[in-house]
Amino acid sequence: MLFRKKRQWDVECDVLVVGSGAAGLTAALAAHEAGAQVALIEKSDKIGGASAVSGGVLWVPNNHHMGELGISDSREEAVCYATRLADGRGDNELIETFVDKSPEMLRFVEGETGLNFTSLARYPDYHPEFEGGKVGGRSLDPGLFDSNDLGEWKSKLRRSPIFGMTALTVTEATEWGVFAKPLNLPFKLLGERLSKGFVCYGGALVGQLLKALLQRAIAPLMSFRARELIIEDGRVIGVRGEQGGAERSIRARKAVILTSGGFEWDRSLNSQFLSGQLTHPNSPPCNEGDGLRMAMVVGAALGNMTEAWWCPSLMIPGEEYDGKQLNRADFATRSLPHSIIVNRNGNRFVNEAQNYNDVMKPFFAFDSASYERPNLPAWLIVDANHILKYGLLTVMPGKAVPSFVARGETVGELASVIGVNAVRLEATVRNFNRFAVEGVDPEFHRGESLYDRFYGDPDQKPNANLGAIEKAPFYAVEVHAGSIGTKGGVRVNKNGEAIRADGAVIRGLYAAGNVMAGPFGAGYPGAGSTIGIAMTFGFLAGRKAASDA
Amino acid sequence: MPEVSYTTTLRIPHDQVWGFVKDMNNWAPFLTGYQAHEILSETDSLWTLKGDVGILSRTVKLKARVTEWSGPDKVTFTLEGLNEDVEGGGVVTMGPYHASTVPLAPPLTIASWFRRLIAALFRKRSTKAGGTLQREATRPPQSQLTFTLRMEAGGPTGPIVNALLGPALLPATEQLANKIAAHLHAIELRP
Repeated sequence: MLFRKKRQWDVECDVLVVGSGAAGLTAALAAHEAGAQVALIEKSDKIGGASAVSGGVLWVPNNHHMGELGISDSREEAVCYATRLADGRGDNELIETFVDKSPEMLRFVEGETGLNFTSLARYPDYHPEFEGGKVGGRSLDPGLFDSNDLGEWKSKLRRSPIFGMTALTVTEATEWGVFAKPLNLPFKLLGERLSKGFVCYGGALVGQLLKALLQRAIAPLMSFRARELIIEDGRVIGVRGEQGGAERSIRARKAVILTSGGFEWDRSLNSQFLSGQLTHPNSPPCNEGDGLRMAMVVGAALGNMTEAWWCPSLMIPGEEYDGKQLNRADFATRSLPHSIIVNRNGNRFVNEAQNYNDVMKPFFAFDSASYERPNLPAWLIVDANHILKYGLLTVMPGKAVPSFVARGETVGELASVIGVNAVRLEATVRNFNRFAVEGVDPEFHRGESLYDRFYGDPDQKPNANLGAIEKAPFYAVEVHAGSIGTKGGVRVNKNGEAIRADGAVIRGLYAAGNVMAGPFGAGYPGAGSTIGIAMTFGFLAGRKAASDA
Repeated sequence: MPEVSYTTTLRIPHDQVWGFVKDMNNWAPFLTGYQAHEILSETDSLWTLKGDVGILSRTVKLKARVTEWSGPDKVTFTLEGLNEDVEGGGVVTMGPYHASTVPLAPPLTIASWFRRLIAALFRKRSTKAGGTLQREATRPPQSQLTFTLRMEAGGPTGPIVNALLGPALLPATEQLANKIAAHLHAIELRP
């Protein structure tokens, strides 16, 4: 076009990053260090996205901290393990890229930020018994972070509704046996840390990454919602969006990197794509698939769209986060003794102690004869011994159980309260109690995996995950289908560049994090897989984008 | 135990402040996170609030008991959590303005939109009356209203909850005091 109208831009940069989770912050850092002028926009008024509310752990196979602890690992083991978990639906090239590049990303991040990760030697992969799986070491703890280091940005750091209520490292949580022995926690120390401004888990990870950006004079543009990718001559050259009610546009001379998170809070996208009915997501409500929609409009190929990083959700009615009902991710309750999960017929249907991704899959089982999902609704059943030892939700051990928790003086009475077949539930409990005495669960193999036992009670014999449900009163809470983020999205190549259905690169467009098609398919290799892969592809995308012409 | 205190000044006599404050129905909606309240007796009331500790919010049910009713100067009360392990209490004091004890507040603490609305509605009359609004806005303070509030979470997790509760108390106390002041000033400004 000879007489192209000159565009008016509100901001101009080389590389524009959309989203401020771990993927986005890492991408911005990598692009800056590669010489690019970087801008970063965040839709909400808080920094960190789903990463900030997470455990903040990175899963990085063959990382240098494992070597420091004398734990062996190899490329071959990691690829073998992750490929098996992908269940034939992953992207093998990207799995290999991740395994090859994630240790480099780790060294880069540690070199450019205040982060110094600790290898969690006792935190097993989610299937450590599979070939290539490890009993510990691949998951990395970001430690604590003094949020006062952020200055005026301290209040903009997103806080986790779960982990933000305390200030302990993942290493400490492991050593102190937080889940099975909650009263072992040094509450006074944790209160003092909170008062001083220390944050942990995802808050620590995001805080350190944000600090590194601020030190480089990259101040995120807050409450900026991207709506549209701007294309010129077949290349993405910027983003149009809104901030404070006004339309704004940003020019990206080299590239736009989408790191805007998943679509778990968008009911329409959920129902179109996901294999299960995601009703109670655990991430911040701002994850509505904005980046995915923008990429679809410009012709990006999609992948892994049926999958999410599934997680069971428990609710305390009236508890809110960002103005929406808070759905509490349940990582441990169901693994502890004196508990089972049953379906509406009163039957167990899963190894309750499995990792949070895999435990969800049978929830969505479909009965083709009745066209029903027999495992929904599902209920977590516990007895008074469970309450006495472990508490429930935010109820500490031995404390009064609130009235929103269903209660019965007998198992049969509880069944009638929650609308479950009483005869079946009584039979299920009788069977389970026999398994608990024998220490073996022949139906679902609960407690056989090292992973199960990691979240069990080491004092419970003979099986750390099995304890009879026998002491009245009996309690039930509904277990909902949750997710810490979807993992389907924009397909990318090994540089993080978005591609079309024919494999051609969409020039000027990259993706990382949960807006990107997850290479792991259905699998969840270990704690920190979400963030490990997000930061790795953020790192690759940022570095490559900075070098674009 | 997290405890905060906040004083605001009012440009109306303190017996008028008492006239408003003594009926909790008048100011209940000004409480941060207010959902509902129920008066049980002359001393006891039930309150439902959406308690926000900066990260998440929860519905908290509290029982308030007035332990000292010394109008027009002072009301003392206790608070007991019915669905959460919290307890506390506070004191509301009203009295003539003392410059030595409290700094002068800005001319008007009414929200700007509200102030503009009132000004627009009564501009004509106030002009005829010789600029009543202007005069009211610069009228010296006559009384002061102080809220002292303390809340403490119990149980083993108390130290953690208190660490989050502490920073949330002062904004809530400031909001209550300032909203009462703004409301009374707005009424007073009506010609």
